[in-house]
Amino acid sequence: MEEGIFEQRTDLSKLNAAVNQIKAVLGTIIVGQQDSIDLLIAGILADGHVLIEGVPGVAKTLTAKLIAKAIDAQYSRIQFTPDLMPSDVLGTSVFNPKTIDFEFKHGPIFGNIILIDEINRAPAKTQSALFEVMEERQVTIDGQNYKMEEPFIVLATQNPVEQEGTYRLPEAQLDRFLFKIEIKYPSLEEEIRIVTQQHQHKTADQLAEVKPILSKEDIISLRNQVRSFHVEPKILEFVAKVIHETRNNKSLYLGGSPRASLAVVNAAKALAALKGRDFVTPDDVVWIAPAVLRHRIMLTPDKEMEGVSPDDIIKQIIQKIEVPR
Amino acid sequence: MRFYLYLILFILGINAGYSAEKKAPQAKHEKAVLKIDSASAVDIRHFDQTSLNTYRKKPEFQYKETTTDISWWTRFWRWFWNWLDSLFRLKPAKGLPTFWDIFWRIVKICLLALGVVALVFFIFKAQGINILGIFRKKATSAAIPYSEFFEDINAINFDEEIEGAIGKGNYRFAVRLLYLKCLKHLSNAGLIDWQIDKTNSAYIGELKNQQQQDAFRMLTLQFEYVWYGEFLIDQQAFKTIDSSFRDFNKQVA
Repeated sequence: MEEGIFEQRTDLSKLNAAVNQIKAVLGTIIVGQQDSIDLLIAGILADGHVLIEGVPGVAKTLTAKLIAKAIDAQYSRIQFTPDLMPSDVLGTSVFNPKTIDFEFKHGPIFGNIILIDEINRAPAKTQSALFEVMEERQVTIDGQNYKMEEPFIVLATQNPVEQEGTYRLPEAQLDRFLFKIEIKYPSLEEEIRIVTQQHQHKTADQLAEVKPILSKEDIISLRNQVRSFHVEPKILEFVAKVIHETRNNKSLYLGGSPRASLAVVNAAKALAALKGRDFVTPDDVVWIAPAVLRHRIMLTPDKEMEGVSPDDIIKQIIQKIEVPR
Repeated sequence: MRFYLYLILFILGINAGYSAEKKAPQAKHEKAVLKIDSASAVDIRHFDQTSLNTYRKKPEFQYKETTTDISWWTRFWRWFWNWLDSLFRLKPAKGLPTFWDIFWRIVKICLLALGVVALVFFIFKAQGINILGIFRKKATSAAIPYSEFFEDINAINFDEEIEGAIGKGNYRFAVRLLYLKCLKHLSNAGLIDWQIDKTNSAYIGELKNQQQQDAFRMLTLQFEYVWYGEFLIDQQAFKTIDSSFRDFNKQVA
């Protein structure tokens, strides 16, 4: 009906087709997790990095690999271990006796889609190596800058910090992730579908069946389109109020940064794109806010001991603020 | 029972023995004999007067106290502390304190305490601090530092406001008012629970009747396109939206 009254000002047909295709491909292998898949696609459209957290065996790595396969771009995977060094990630200068000079050997971070598996198994020293590349999309080694090729997406998986052999990621690094997606255990119906689907599947490697849907150029073009989406000033004010309140909330030791405000707006735009709109509504902000904020805020020790989750506090904060209408 | 009796006797016995051991032996007093030396002559010695005069002239040996003027502030505090001391001192100048002495002193102390509390209360009140808040069980929540304006849909005269917006050609604002009016209708009919923090999709989900839900979803979409999306609408488009809102309101009523 709205199409009869309102003339479409942005052509979202290509975007919608690509999103539907990715969802269809992922849906053949991944059972359930619709919200996680939406967030992953939104993360790519919003030019952000995504952190996927879940207990072992909930298809974190598989989901990330499927998304990476759906995009025709240079993919590299880094398995984070406790003895991994920054140079193992970024690269290092090696002496070449033939040319009698040092040559820079690019590390696995040089790529378009980087899957960092079990990111919190490496200590803070290695994590620090990612600060510059994640935010500025460049690496500085021996005084030389190496720019990353666009698109540059880091998809990282991690086990919950309570598990053995894991480290808590530094706040500065967590702030560089657009989303933290929490993958829960499937429901009983979903688990039955997983087992049935796996049992009936004849091919050994399901990933080999996935063909690229989007090219690098498509990703860059869609991102530019999403960036130009309309956001009503009252919605921007609503986002600012939510983030501001995280800094004054008594249950929080650390609130959201201005980068968090920008992240909420960009993520809400990407979510609007997934819903076929070229403008943001308060529903988009409310839905996306927990995924953007849950890893950026820190609870006070007493709230942590009470078993309160960051999502509970985010919900409370949003409930205090009037929805712009 | 017998065991306890023996135990008590045993403990008492040990205690008595220990106490006996601790007693110090009685010291024997001997008479002191004072011998007077009456044989030798006493040679009386005198201070050297010249030396004494010399010492007296030195400033180190001048013990004259200098009297300084007491300021009015010091006098006030001296009076205050004396008065406070007299207030709390129960012993009167002569004889023992009577019942009325004690009673009046207690009354004075109570009045003084009340005065102090009232003074503190007014000082905090003047500073804008709610001192009574500390005695409450639950602390008051921290005020949000920005100005917050909560729009009450029950306090808006929608028909008048919509007419005004149409008259000015502000169809976007008119659609917003139509939507708020619709929310008021739904709230009055008990179909939704109107709250400031609820989003439009939350209200859609609250409608149990599928037909109403579908119709309201469509109205919400129109409102979102016009208000959040800032899609321009002309008079013709507004009439279409207005009629769909009117139809829905009739359906709800």
